[in-house]
Amino acid sequence: MKISYRVYHVFARNLISYKRYVLTTFIASLIQPLFYLITFGIGMGAYMTGAFGGKSYLHFLVPGVIISSIMMTATFECLFGTFVKMVHERLYDSLVATPVSAEDAITGDILWASFRGLISGGLMMIVASFMGILPASVFSLLLLIVVMVLVGILFASLAMIVTSYAPNFDFFNYYTELVVTPMLFFSGVFFPLDNFPAWMKTMAQFMPLTHAVKIARAVYSGTSPAGLLFSVLVGLALGAIAFVFGVKRMKKRLIK
Amino acid sequence: MNTIIKAENLVKKYGDLTAVDGISFEIREGECFGFLGPNGAGKTTTIRMIHCVSPKTSGTLTVNGMPASVDNRAIKRITGVVPQEITLDIDLTVRENLLVFARFFDIPRREAKSRLAELLKFVELEAKADCKIEQLSTGMKRRLLIARALINRPSFIVADEPTTGLDPQARHLIWQRLRQLKSQGVTLILTTQYMEEAAQLCDRLVVMDKGKIFREGVPNQLIEEEIGREVLEIRIDAARDAELIAALGGQSCGHERVGDTLYFYCRDGHDLRRKILELDLPNTVHRPATLEDVFLKLTGRSLVE
Repeated sequence: MKISYRVYHVFARNLISYKRYVLTTFIASLIQPLFYLITFGIGMGAYMTGAFGGKSYLHFLVPGVIISSIMMTATFECLFGTFVKMVHERLYDSLVATPVSAEDAITGDILWASFRGLISGGLMMIVASFMGILPASVFSLLLLIVVMVLVGILFASLAMIVTSYAPNFDFFNYYTELVVTPMLFFSGVFFPLDNFPAWMKTMAQFMPLTHAVKIARAVYSGTSPAGLLFSVLVGLALGAIAFVFGVKRMKKRLIK
Repeated sequence: MNTIIKAENLVKKYGDLTAVDGISFEIREGECFGFLGPNGAGKTTTIRMIHCVSPKTSGTLTVNGMPASVDNRAIKRITGVVPQEITLDIDLTVRENLLVFARFFDIPRREAKSRLAELLKFVELEAKADCKIEQLSTGMKRRLLIARALINRPSFIVADEPTTGLDPQARHLIWQRLRQLKSQGVTLILTTQYMEEAAQLCDRLVVMDKGKIFREGVPNQLIEEEIGREVLEIRIDAARDAELIAALGGQSCGHERVGDTLYFYCRDGHDLRRKILELDLPNTVHRPATLEDVFLKLTGRSLVE
């Protein structure tokens, strides 16, 4: 792994190009999660009382929606964004001919995807704060930002692995439809896992989103539920493995 | 002259396919060195190993005394790359393309800006500084690729078919700029399938095919040695070959029948010219020998797929 400070140069390149489409991404990353908040949170939430430790359903829903919006943004950036740069724009070809290594380039893009996730998650948090759903304390807020960045890196790295095998765009459907979408519905984003049958609870433990949402929810509310440490360890281990493997796989694809 | 790049028994395999099959060559400082060959000859693979974006399978390859390897940042720092495909950053403007690239080489911002102005002038793109890449013509894009390759003030430039797809004006402008660089002491490494390009630019060249080097030499010498000075092409029915060879053979060094044409390759065309007039043949072309004749002779006239 030849990672250097040049990761920042790659990140900066993305930042410069970002200013051309920043507004569109704001809209794109706000609309869908906002609908979740309104329909599920306010609409359905009115019928859901009592099961959320005395707080409203929105308190339960907001951290889940923030984290899933980070997952979506980071995933799509490293699937479609990276694929376009790699195959259509041949951007990595010119990058690796400079002192920037393939590892620098991929790491820079993973961090960039995480940053994009942080922005969409942050936008959600701002919207939620207008609905009166705030993190428990300033410390909670700062810790939450760290969690958001790490969750972004985790899902960006997982997407990088998929991209490293992708022959074309269609290939991404397997991942988005068979992995990402089920995670969105079975990781306890919208409902507590407690009410699921045992086998579904077990299955949920194998989904990285389950752990990410659990951590975010604990940090948001400033509580520490049972099994939090396990989720943190799983999240960190999975993130580290996915990152190293994703970078190595992509290097193999870029350098022949 | 010092050797800047040296390869010995260089081999590159992609699985079962041997793209470069044990080639050896030396490139000297300040010269323009060409790799000539048809598609799939192994030219691009060779130069990709030189500028450290593709690992070799075996053999040795040194650049500026350092072993070439994918992670060799020291070599990449002194290399300028003009790629075969247009790999400009289409999300950025012309100016941003160069500034971002300067960043990749850790060139300080102020220095980058002064180089930017100088390079845009060199490739005649000052007026396009704030244009998007899609607004440029193919010739402008190729010129910008050259400017981008120069941003780090490289000691050698690798140009992979730098004029593919260009009209004659654009091509000549690129040639002029490349020659200008050479006169400033920059070493040029060129791959091309255009023989005219090789003749215009290269001091020395190798002819490659199927991963091997067939010949190495100075363009004019190669022509002289392989072909002679003049070529006579006679488009005529093959039935008359024997008669014509008997009549003209004495003056020519060699002949060859390809499709509808009988070729004579000659050192001295004076006698030949007189003979042709005597024979009063239709459809003849008498012309100086070119690198293209050498190329076709060495790599075979059959269609390369």
